[in-house]
Amino acid sequence: MFGSYKVKLEGELLEKIQKCVEAGSYESVDQFVIRVLERELDKVLPPDQGNAASKELVKKRLQGLGYIE
Amino acid sequence: MITIVSGLPRSGTSLLMQMLAAGGMTILTDSERKPDVDNPRGYCEWEPAKLLPRQPELIDQAEGKAVKVISQLLLSVPKGRDYKVIFMERPLPEILASQDEMLRRRGKPDSVSHESLTSAFKDHLTEVSTTLENRPDISVLRMGYRRLLNDPIRHSQSIKDFLALDLNVEAMARQVDLSLYRNRSSS
Repeated sequence: MFGSYKVKLEGELLEKIQKCVEAGSYESVDQFVIRVLERELDKVLPPDQGNAASKELVKKRLQGLGYIE
Repeated sequence: MITIVSGLPRSGTSLLMQMLAAGGMTILTDSERKPDVDNPRGYCEWEPAKLLPRQPELIDQAEGKAVKVISQLLLSVPKGRDYKVIFMERPLPEILASQDEMLRRRGKPDSVSHESLTSAFKDHLTEVSTTLENRPDISVLRMGYRRLLNDPIRHSQSIKDFLALDLNVEAMARQVDLSLYRNRSSS
C-alpha cells in the first residue's frame, strides 16, 4: 500500500550528512534522512486524525512501563 | 543550568545517568525504582519527574544537577530556565523488544502490534523534536546508543564538551558494559 521510493544522495550533501552521522548524532544516513523528512512533514502537513490515537498508544505504553501517571 | 537525560524508555538513559555520575556530576535521583533484571545497575530515576505535567516547577530541584526525564515528560518542562538535554536514540525495534520484556516482568504485557507502536512512537519523537527546535532555552545533544557503546571514550568526550563541565571521561567510559546490551536488532 505504501510502497517505497529511492533518492540518490551524493557529493557535498552526502558528505555533510555522513559527518553528522559520524559525529554520533544519528545511527545511520538512512536514520538522518528519515528524521529530517518526518520533521519537515510535521511542519507542512496538518495534524492527521491518527495523531490522537498515536498519542493514546504511547501514553498507555508508558503508563504500563511505569514512567508516567 | 539543568542537565536532562532524555529519550524513550529503554533507549540507554540509565546508562547515561550512570556515566554522568561516574564522571563527577551530581545526579538528581531517588531509590523508588530499585535495580532489577531489566536494569541491574539501577534506573537513576527521580520519581517526581512524573508530576511535571501538573507541577512543572519541580524541575527547579534539578538546578546544577543531571536528571532523567523521559521524552513524554520533556514536553512539560517549563520555560524560563536554561536546559541542556542529552537525548538518547536507539533503533525502535530494539526499544520495543526491551520494553516488551519489561512489561512482561511487570505483569502488564502489551498486545498492540509493533507496527502500530512504531508508527505511534515515530509520531511522538517527531512531536518532541519539533518542540525542542522551538525552545531556544533548550540545547540538545543527540546520542546514538549503539555508537556510544562502540566508542565510549569518544562520546564521553562529546558529552563533556557539550556540558562544558570538568567531567572524568575515562570514568564515564568505564560505565559501558557491553554485556548489558541486549535486544539487539540488525538495523
